[in-house]
Amino acid sequence: MRKIFLVILLIFPIVLTGCWDQRLLVNRTLVNGISFDLTEEGHITVAVRALNIQSKGGGLFEISDELVEAERPTIVGLGLDVDSKISGEIDASKAHVLIIGEELAKKGIHPLVEFFYRNRESYLSSKIVISKGKGKEILSVEKEKSPIAFVILQLLEGAEADTVIPKKNTFTVWNNILDPGKDMILPYLERVKPDKVTVAGVALFNGDRYTGSTIPKEKSGVLLSLMNQLDKTNRMALILGSKKDGRSISFATRDLSRNLEVQVDHDEKITCNINLKIDIEVISYPQDIKNELNIQKLNHDLSNELTKQAKEITNTLVKANCDAFGIGRQISSFHPELWKKMNWDQEYKNVQIEPVVKVNIIKTGNVF
Amino acid sequence: MEKEMTTNQITKFQLFFLLIQSQIGVALLSLPHAVQESAKGDGWISTILAGVAVQVMLVVYWQLLKRFPTLMYTEITKKVVGSFLGKLLNVFIYMNFMLVGGLATILFIKVINLWLLPLTPGWMISLLILTACIYLAISDLKIIARFFVLATSLILILWFTSVLSWFTPKEFQYVLPIGSSGIKNILMGSNNSLLAMLGFEALLFFFPFIIENKKGVLKTVSIANLFITLFYTYFIFITLISFSTDQLTQMREPILNLLRGISYKMIDRVDLIFLSVWMVPMATSIITYLFAASKSLNLEKKNHYRKAVVLNGGILFLITLIPNEDTIITLFNQYVSYLSYVVVFLIPSLLLVLSILMKKHEMSESR
Repeated sequence: MRKIFLVILLIFPIVLTGCWDQRLLVNRTLVNGISFDLTEEGHITVAVRALNIQSKGGGLFEISDELVEAERPTIVGLGLDVDSKISGEIDASKAHVLIIGEELAKKGIHPLVEFFYRNRESYLSSKIVISKGKGKEILSVEKEKSPIAFVILQLLEGAEADTVIPKKNTFTVWNNILDPGKDMILPYLERVKPDKVTVAGVALFNGDRYTGSTIPKEKSGVLLSLMNQLDKTNRMALILGSKKDGRSISFATRDLSRNLEVQVDHDEKITCNINLKIDIEVISYPQDIKNELNIQKLNHDLSNELTKQAKEITNTLVKANCDAFGIGRQISSFHPELWKKMNWDQEYKNVQIEPVVKVNIIKTGNVF
Repeated sequence: MEKEMTTNQITKFQLFFLLIQSQIGVALLSLPHAVQESAKGDGWISTILAGVAVQVMLVVYWQLLKRFPTLMYTEITKKVVGSFLGKLLNVFIYMNFMLVGGLATILFIKVINLWLLPLTPGWMISLLILTACIYLAISDLKIIARFFVLATSLILILWFTSVLSWFTPKEFQYVLPIGSSGIKNILMGSNNSLLAMLGFEALLFFFPFIIENKKGVLKTVSIANLFITLFYTYFIFITLISFSTDQLTQMREPILNLLRGISYKMIDRVDLIFLSVWMVPMATSIITYLFAASKSLNLEKKNHYRKAVVLNGGILFLITLIPNEDTIITLFNQYVSYLSYVVVFLIPSLLLVLSILMKKHEMSESR
């Protein structure tokens, strides 16, 4: 009797191969970049950069890139429209970049990304970015070169390694959107002439809505340091002292330690102290040749300058209602009673954030 | 009969793996969701409590089985409460194993349909799974045990896979403050995770087949229980610190979503690889239920047992033809869990109390 079952087990799968869930690569159009925008009438447009693979026989494939657009009053159904315009079955399982226009992002990005979580095929490691102006502008850059999405992807990966933008993909954004105690920041891209894309900074979010405020890329490194994030390096250039006779210095962060403390006093006033210590390596400091480098003084000046910048950044964050440090979560963990009775969205404006940056030069390169 | 017993014996070592494989199954994938529904960030405490509850039951089983070392669950019922009442109880026991086995198969098919093969009809997947299960369940327990020992190495591989997910962002504050959900909610969470731990009742059927002296059996099953409790708690804990409560409420299979965020240049979609390997632990649970259900019919001859396995496999197939709708499956799940509580917790406890009160053990004559 066992043998009968063994025979069935051996024959069935062979006979059934390719019966239902067979998906051939040649029949599919691989999407590698998607952009969402809001039109003037309030409709949503989607643009898709798709890679069309056509078999030419003999193991040869012709690959072409195409840009397809669709427009609808809501997000639902856009996928179907795009699918009908593309030859072959649309496949978003390798959509590496997701670009959302800033006007649309202000209305909330959850409806746009929800599809990716629900769909079992979709790729959750795709990068989400906010674009200055229309997202399609960025996606349609260098139309003849293909596939553009990889160019943007490399740009983002480089900026991530430099700690200019946070490491964000659809998977981590999912978490941020649904976490009431913390808000996210997303990369902010812009198209610069002629025909290039660049990282402009980071966009501040409140829940799943873009607040309209950004931190420029010169300062986003400080913000990320305050958030205890450091990838390979974090390079910054500063002008110390007054603009006119100021000394300019550029350095790279090698190590950082951050201490974030949330205090609630008797009147339920919330203060957040952020102590940031960074170890840096001087990359360039064209100083007066006759003077010897005074590391002590330079440490002091840099600390002052960065603390000043940090304060500006935290002010922007509070004004934009973006709780990027997760102060809300600290309160929910350590002051659960207070958390339950307050409306964090409104209370956040009254939070006092006190950043202090302490710089320590550990290396000065090949010269003193 | 004598000869059959010798070919059909298992060691305590094998018993350990038999229990692990029976308990770990499809339920793990959705367990974090089920537990956090009530226990929120304290879900990991719920699993530990459920493990304690299982341990208490294992001691009850041990006390009962010590009195009847060569009898199976369904034979003990007849011995303790008499032939008629015993047979009535056995009907319940049989139904429980069939329905739980059916439920496990339905959930198995559902997961495969949802994640791997969306277009393949459910009955086809069901047919393939059940054929494989029958093929193994039809063999001696010894062979089943050997396979389960081998299959356990897969569970370790899966554990290593989960380590990869440590590289996605983690937030320990999601579980803080500890105990904030309240005792009542934590206990309700335990109730949910207890259902995922079912399978240990198979001990009531494995016990008579243990070859060595039966003294250390309690120790073996306790270690198996400890292993499973830690395994579950570990998985629940990493899910809890990876996802916020609101996010977990949305997810059907949090464990798979956990792995979905991992991406490498060479390997992508670790979740699908995990699921493909996880099929084996899912199938082993079904095999155990098929085995227990067929044994509970108290068939003397080996050939009859084999026919029973094929017949029960057929019935399981019919059960899996139930429409694959969320509402129906939830309802089915609910009723099956009530039945399970009776068969797994209530009846053995009653049997133990009765056998102590009536001073019954194996040597005493049955009425």
